[in-house]
Amino acid sequence: MMLLKIAWRNIWRSKTRSAVVIFAITSGLVGGLFASAWMNGMANQRVVNTFSIETAHIQLHHPNFADNFDVKKTITSTEDKLEKISKMVGVKAVTSRLKVSAMAATANKNMGVVIVGINPETEKEVFGLYKKVDSTSGDFFVSKKKNAIVISKALAEELKVKIKSKIVLTFQDYNGEITGAAFKVIGMYKTDNNPWDKMHVFVRDVDLRKVVEIPKGQNHEIDVLLNDYEQASVISAAIQKKYPEILSEDWSEIQPYLSFITEYMDIYMGVFMIIILAALGFGIVNTMLMVILERTKELGMLMGIGMNKKRIFLMIMFETILLALVGAFVGEIISMFLINYFGKVGINISSLAEGLESVGYSAISYPMLEAYRYLQITILVILTGIVASIYPAIKALKLNPAEAIRTL
Amino acid sequence: MSVIKVSNLTKTYTDTEVPVHAVNGIDLTFEKGEFAAIVGPSGSGKTTLLNMIGGLEKSTSGSVEVHGQDISELSSGKLIDFRLNNIGFVFQAYNLIPVLTAKENVEFIMQLQNWDKTKMNERTITILESVGLGDRINSKPNQLSGGQQQRVAVARALASKPQFILADEPTANLDSKSTNQLLDIMEKLNEEENITFIFSTHDQRVVDKARRVIMIDDGKVVSDDVKN
Repeated sequence: MMLLKIAWRNIWRSKTRSAVVIFAITSGLVGGLFASAWMNGMANQRVVNTFSIETAHIQLHHPNFADNFDVKKTITSTEDKLEKISKMVGVKAVTSRLKVSAMAATANKNMGVVIVGINPETEKEVFGLYKKVDSTSGDFFVSKKKNAIVISKALAEELKVKIKSKIVLTFQDYNGEITGAAFKVIGMYKTDNNPWDKMHVFVRDVDLRKVVEIPKGQNHEIDVLLNDYEQASVISAAIQKKYPEILSEDWSEIQPYLSFITEYMDIYMGVFMIIILAALGFGIVNTMLMVILERTKELGMLMGIGMNKKRIFLMIMFETILLALVGAFVGEIISMFLINYFGKVGINISSLAEGLESVGYSAISYPMLEAYRYLQITILVILTGIVASIYPAIKALKLNPAEAIRTL
Repeated sequence: MSVIKVSNLTKTYTDTEVPVHAVNGIDLTFEKGEFAAIVGPSGSGKTTLLNMIGGLEKSTSGSVEVHGQDISELSSGKLIDFRLNNIGFVFQAYNLIPVLTAKENVEFIMQLQNWDKTKMNERTITILESVGLGDRINSKPNQLSGGQQQRVAVARALASKPQFILADEPTANLDSKSTNQLLDIMEKLNEEENITFIFSTHDQRVVDKARRVIMIDDGKVVSDDVKN
């Protein structure tokens, strides 16, 4: 206790010097934590958006469907499977889709697209695409009109179409014949992933089933939304076991890039903070060496009157750790405030919107940092303090008490 | 048995261009309850001798025995423990811990000895009162005069119940009044509690109070007089 008391009071002996070190630690941590939270927020948005718009948490297909989107590679007895999967523990909602490669044509341009045939009611329980159709851009299958289509604003721009315009879709039907149908644009969506937007158009599954002549009860895809996305691999494995004839993949298998983002963020934050703390550690070492130099006489006296090496070492280590912890505490409080504030209002970098959206990121990002990260940082700061104290403490232990006491 | 027995003690510094024989074959013994002053001109070797008696410096040859224990044979770790439990130190520049109060400075050494908290508290107050600082126990060193700081240093040296106290020029930085107060306190502690004090000094006021005066010059004992 006495050693801690001395260490704590020693920090404030040279207030200016300690304040400089604390400021350095504080600003280093604020910079590091905020930058990490920003990156983390962007990555998290990317992941959440992908779940919400593109993949859900688990997808089921015919094992060979992904090879070339063959319309005949379907899942059979879809209704039965949907019902059974929806009752599994951890499953929040399920829906089924038809997916057909097609050519979208207008008077102005032709473009390759994927037609997604959906059941709007169950689709809304799994995917959030309907929220991406704003009130000035039509609607997401609110009316029951036949051959309605929802396309992205990006595709509409390319094809030069508006709401109520017609688009002709040409594709191969279930019997291998080339066929087509005209669809009327009823809504336009916009996500943060421009390339994806240009590739996907949405129609009612009943309309698509009819023109492609896919038998009732067959679908190309079942999408599963879970209560906790981290359970995806476990539940996917359970589904796979239940239906060995179809392929069940969790989000990390469907989009390995997402898995990479989440894992990369962990590594990135770890490396980033270690670099910052290492730099701060050298600053702390320098400060503590100055402290040892200044207190040579005092250390000599302490050794002289009988303070053993272990206690001298501990005293210096406590002082270093406390100094680092004060900086960490202030830095974490400021970081928490900044991250919470910008986590609510967001950081808008609209000047980079085009570039970001071309790789699937939103121009407005919301910094976020999990609570356990602060604990990790605190532990890292303590470790930094321990490591930074070793060299100065060794220097102190090498002092000759008689010579040290004579120091001016 | 003598408290301290110094036999043929030498200390030669070889890190200079010409080897310096700071202490050159000194033999001395100190009995329990002595109030002795080692005097001599600057550079005569008195501080080096005191440091070797206190185990702060290793001798080149010879031995220092405290109650029959040759301290030159102890490892550095054991020597630190030995100093903690057997020797009290008073330094010329007070050398208190500046961030601790007078009471905490005195308690510090007892904490190193793992004293019980209640006993430690009682003893600290008793000792600080005995050196006339009962009303300044919560003052930090920078709130005390030089004389008061040195009295705290004496209290700290006494706190660990040492075999003897070594005081290296304890009055060098004090004015006359503070010097007299300090010497009166140490003399009283010596007479009433039979505590052994060994000073190195060239202050005549200390020499006048001492009952034994050892004069050294060029690292050798020139005279060793006991007053009646």
